[in-house]
Formats: sequence, C-alpha cells, structure tokens
Amino acid sequence: MFGSLKAGDKGKIIDISHVGHLVQRRLLDLGITEGSEVCVKCVMPFGGPVMIESCGQCVGIRRKEAVQIEVERI
Amino acid sequence: MEIALIGNPNTGKTSLFNNLTGSYEYVGNWSGVTVEKKVGLFKNNIGQLIDLPGVYTLNPLSRDEGVVTSFFLNETVDRLLNILDASQLERNLHLTLQLLEFEKPALIGLNMIDVANKRGIQIDASKLSQVLGVPVVPVVARSGKGCDKLVDVISTKSIQPAKKHLVYYGKEVEEAISAMTRELSGKTDHSPRFLTIQYFEGNEYVQSYVNGIANSQEINTIVANLELNLQKQAENKSLANFIYLKRKEVILRIVAEVARKSDSIIPLSERIDGIVTNRILGMPIFLLLMYFMFMLTFDWLGTPLSDALNGLLTGPITVGFEKVLEAVSASHFIQDLILEGLVAGVGGVLVFVPQIFILFFFISLLEDSGYMARVALVMDRIMESVGLNGKAFIPMMIGFGCNVPGIMAARTIETPKERLMTILLTPLMSCSARLPVYALFVGAFFAGHKAFVVLSLYVLGIVVALILAKVFSSTLLKSETSLFVIELPPYRLPQFQSLWRSTWDKGKGFVRKAGTFIFAGSVFIWLLSYAGPGGVKVDMDHSYLAAIGNMIAPIFDPIGFGTWQASASLITGFLAKEAIISTMNIIYFVPNDASLQGLLAEYYTPLAAYSFMVFILLYIPCLATTATIYKETGSKKWTAFSMIYAFVIAYVLALIIFQGGKLIGLI
Repeated sequence: MFGSLKAGDKGKIIDISHVGHLVQRRLLDLGITEGSEVCVKCVMPFGGPVMIESCGQCVGIRRKEAVQIEVERI
Repeated sequence: MEIALIGNPNTGKTSLFNNLTGSYEYVGNWSGVTVEKKVGLFKNNIGQLIDLPGVYTLNPLSRDEGVVTSFFLNETVDRLLNILDASQLERNLHLTLQLLEFEKPALIGLNMIDVANKRGIQIDASKLSQVLGVPVVPVVARSGKGCDKLVDVISTKSIQPAKKHLVYYGKEVEEAISAMTRELSGKTDHSPRFLTIQYFEGNEYVQSYVNGIANSQEINTIVANLELNLQKQAENKSLANFIYLKRKEVILRIVAEVARKSDSIIPLSERIDGIVTNRILGMPIFLLLMYFMFMLTFDWLGTPLSDALNGLLTGPITVGFEKVLEAVSASHFIQDLILEGLVAGVGGVLVFVPQIFILFFFISLLEDSGYMARVALVMDRIMESVGLNGKAFIPMMIGFGCNVPGIMAARTIETPKERLMTILLTPLMSCSARLPVYALFVGAFFAGHKAFVVLSLYVLGIVVALILAKVFSSTLLKSETSLFVIELPPYRLPQFQSLWRSTWDKGKGFVRKAGTFIFAGSVFIWLLSYAGPGGVKVDMDHSYLAAIGNMIAPIFDPIGFGTWQASASLITGFLAKEAIISTMNIIYFVPNDASLQGLLAEYYTPLAAYSFMVFILLYIPCLATTATIYKETGSKKWTAFSMIYAFVIAYVLALIIFQGGKLIGLI
C-alpha cells in the first residue's frame, strides 16, 4: 500500500482503479498509471498531501487518494 | 495564415508566443498560466499566431482545457504548432498523436532540451521528425534560440499533411471508426477519424458536436457494439482506457527510437524541495517569505521611496505647476481644478507606485521561480478542511496583485463547485489598489508597526475567506467531489529581465489607470466638491459631494466613520479602490506642507482608522472585478451575491472591531 511508504521509498503502481475517476484521469494525463514507478518525495504533516515523483516529474496528490493506490515496494 | 500554438501545460508556449510575435503576455512557472486563447501577429507578418491554454489531452476536464477543444471544433486553423517538453517526451506525445489525427499540417517545436540534457536524456530531433512525419525544430523558448529556424519552417516549407494512421487501434476499433466515418462523411469539415476517436474517448465537447450533425441513434449503436466486442477480448478495460493503451504502445516505440537515456545526477530542484516543502518547515518558510515581502514593501524600501516621491510632488512639482499656471494667467477655476483636483487626486495615487512595484516584483518572483505550485501543495491541508483545494490558493495569491487575473486563474480548478467558491472568495484578497489606503492610514496612526498592521489585514482577508469557504461549502455549495492533483514544475532561476518585464507589465496597469480612470474621476469629484446647491466655489461642507456623502453617512456611524468624507470616498471606491485615496486627497486638500496624514488624525481615532481599513479590505469588489465575476460565473445571481455578502461581512467585522474595541477601552 502507498500508505506504508515513507519519504524516499520507491514503488510500482499495481492497481489504481479504487481512486476517484477524476483523480485517476488527471494522473493518467501526467503519465502516472498502472505499471509506473513512483518515488515518494515528501509527506506533508497533519494528513496533508504527498509529493511523488515519476519519470523525473513531481506531482502532489492528497493522502486519501494516495492510500487508495496499490503499490508494490521495489 | 492562422497558426495555433498548442502543447502540455508549462512547456513554454507563451514564452514562445512572446518571442515569435514580439508581444508580452503573462508567463510563469506553473501549470495554467494561460487560461484564454490569445492572438498575436508574427513579427515578419506571415500570419496570426494563436496561443492556447496548456492541455494534456484534447478531452477536457477543466474550463481552460475546454477552451482548446472548442477552438478545435469551432474555429478554422491552417497550421498547428505543437510545442513539446523534451524532458517529458512520453507524456507530451499523447497530445501530439491526437493532434496528428486532426489531419491538419503540423510542426513541432522541441523545447527544454537543456532540462532534458541535465536529466541525462538526449533526443534525436531529425529522427523524431522522420517517425512522426512532421518537421521538428529544437527551440529554447525562454531565450528565443531556434525561433528564426521555426519561423523559417512555418513560412517557407510547405508542410506535408502528416502521415496518416500513426496509431493502429486494433481490428474492432478500426472497424467502428470506418462505420462512424461513413456516418459522418460529408457532414463536417473536420477529420471523421479524429472526431470518432475523441468520441470514443468520452470527449463531451466532441460528443455534443457529433450528435448535433449526425444521427445519434446510429452512433449509439456503433459505440454499444464496439464496447461489447471489446469486453469479450480485453477484460473490463473501458474504451477510453483501451485507446490510451494503444497510443502508449506507439509512444514507447517512438521514444525508444529517438531518445537515449544515461544516468543522471540529482537536480538542484529536488534538493530545494527537500527544504521548502519540508513537513515541518514548509509553512513557516512561506509565512517568513510573506513577512519579508511586507517589510520590504511597507517598511524597509517602499515607504522611504514613496515619501521621497510625495515630497517631490507636493514640493517642486506643485510649485512648478503654480508658476506655469500663473505665467499663462489661467483663471482661478482652472488653477484650482489642476492643483486641488488633478495634482491632489492623481498625484495622491501615483506616490504609491514604488510600493506597488515592489509587491508586484515579489508576486512575479513567486510565479517565475516555480514556488507557486509548492505553496499550493503546502496549503492544501488547510484548504481541504474548508472545502477547497490547494490549487485555489494560486488565484488568491495572484489576487494580491489584482483580483481580476486572480478570478480568471480560477479556471484551472477542475470541479465547478470549488471554482465558483474561489471566484467568490478571491475579491477578499487585498489587491494592490487597496494598498495605498493602508499605507496612508498606517503612516498616520500606526507608524511604529506599519508592516505588522498591514500584514494583519492581509491575513484577515485570508482568514475571512477560509471561514466563508467553510460556511459556503457546508450550506450553499454542498458537493462531495473534490480534486487535487498538481504538477510541481522544476525550479528555475528567475532571470532579471523576465522578472522586470513581468513586474512592469502588472504595474503599468496601475499607472495607466491613474492616468485615465483616476484622472477623469478626480476632475469629476473635484467638480462635485467645488459646486453645491448654493452655487459654485462653495464651502466644501455645503457641496454636492457632501450632500451625497451625508445621505449614507449615518449607516457608518456605528462602525466609527460616519462622516460625509468617508462615505463619499467609499462610493468612489466601488469604481476603483485607488479612487478612495484620490477622493480623500481632494476632500482633505492641504495646500501647504502639512500632510494629509497629519490632518487625518483630526477625523479618525486609531481604532476608527483600523475599522476603516478592515471595511475597505472587504466591503465590495471593484467595478472591474464585479464585471469579471459576472463574465466567469455567467450568473447575475452569484455576481449580486458576491457584492452583498462582502458588504455584510465587512460591516459586521468593522462593527465588532470598533464597538468591541471601545468596550475594552481602546480608542
């Protein structure tokens, strides 16, 4: 699960289908989808958003969406 | 010849536009700077260049993206100039493939090669051109390198229509495309293949366009059949997803062919991010930066400059005008009009130019460096708790400069509810036109804590906006969908030249307004104060202006400033917030060296002055802002609402501050 990843950890997305439709579309636009490798850059305090990096590009998403993304640690 | 400039967000389209047309449009280092199409003429007159908002795909999610899709459907264009971010080739090519399906002559500007190289990516432009079947020209949009070559290719080479069918979508989809093409042929000027694929992807703009020209029953049957066929072979993949994956296959093949990757070093950007978006330090760094900005604007640099300008204006310049007017033996009426009306009214606004330019400089710095998107990230947690998202903070920050572009910037917010709330709340952000009022009053009443008092007003604006967001989102605008996905662009070292241009571009609006709107307003206000029911050249207390002010003055008595002077300036403040200052300068005209600041102390107590500033901060969006709210919401109801709620909130808060302050013994 994404939730267990900490700043600096890397993972590969295996299932993104539980995330809301709009967020899923936007992430797809940015090239982040099943099979993408992501790296958690930082996690904001008080349940704030997480910053992830994929293919050299940084994206901020909310924690509640991040935990719905299934990832496998690599 | 009409050429449309199109590409992903933040790839440098507007920078290129400025370079090719010699104009200066708003640029910044965050996604969604351009929210409207803009038209410019090429420097060498080969045609018109049309700058469009950045999009990831032609299937829109937000309003600014919709601008692009409607442009494609409803307007004619001769050539497409697609600009690509070389460091994000894979993502950018998704759009390129869709553009090529549009089947218009196209060419590609390959931008940000330097960024790509730093990341260890080398791209073979000529090979890319070969594979895609369109010319590819490497450019550096920021500096203008390669632009000449680009113009050359656009104007001289006859660009062959692109190779057809770069992507093969599989037997089932291709058959459905053929069926749709039969249905659509002859009914539209657009490529039926393009329309069909966009239709399949769920592009609502295209769907309504197609349903408008063709038999929607036939089309529904084709789509339903196709979905059924696909379900058999690809388990629960939606049609849109299927198309996406087919494109991705092609893109991966192209990228493998044209790009070489080597091991890269950690870019500086990520090291900076380690600090400014640090979990603990992120927020304090932002506040510290804001504090620094206010100290510089109001204390360290801005005020001394404004004071010097004021000295120049009330001293030598006024004397100069007097001498000239006497030399040409102008009538007393003209002398009074120019000295008491124009010099006081327009000059009173112009002395704040240094402070406003410093503020704009900081806003430009935020935009150009890439910090803006980080602020949105840092603020998201707070914004989420009131029913907004972090992206809404960007329009608000821009609103500190001027509310009008702030409200326009709300277009990048995807969900309609959050966008509407952002539009309604952005006017509470203290724009630069309100700054002169604060500068004048803090100088008169709070000389020891200028920056702190002004900062308190800015923060109050934000806090009120957040509280109201919470109230609106739990009453008027209930909805559950919220979306926050933000691209964080790499940091860029701001170049002095582009910073200066961007500051000047924002600031010149203020100067221009002083020369036109405030100029005319000053003449009008002065005439109203000069004439009265008893004739001309009356005592100001018996002028028309006083009569108008006196009508509404009792309303403001409970909040500390029930004078006709305050009321009259509040009325003019609706036209433009700077007009408050020019009106006051005319009303409290002081002919000798004694300053307006000294005179104000006779009319206001410090408590009333603070109450007045709070009222000015909130009481009503100015005329230009109101017009923009109407344009963006398209609703008279919401426009009226934005004016009424602001007035009510301003009154209630000023009442609490003034009466509460009196109760606890402040004066």
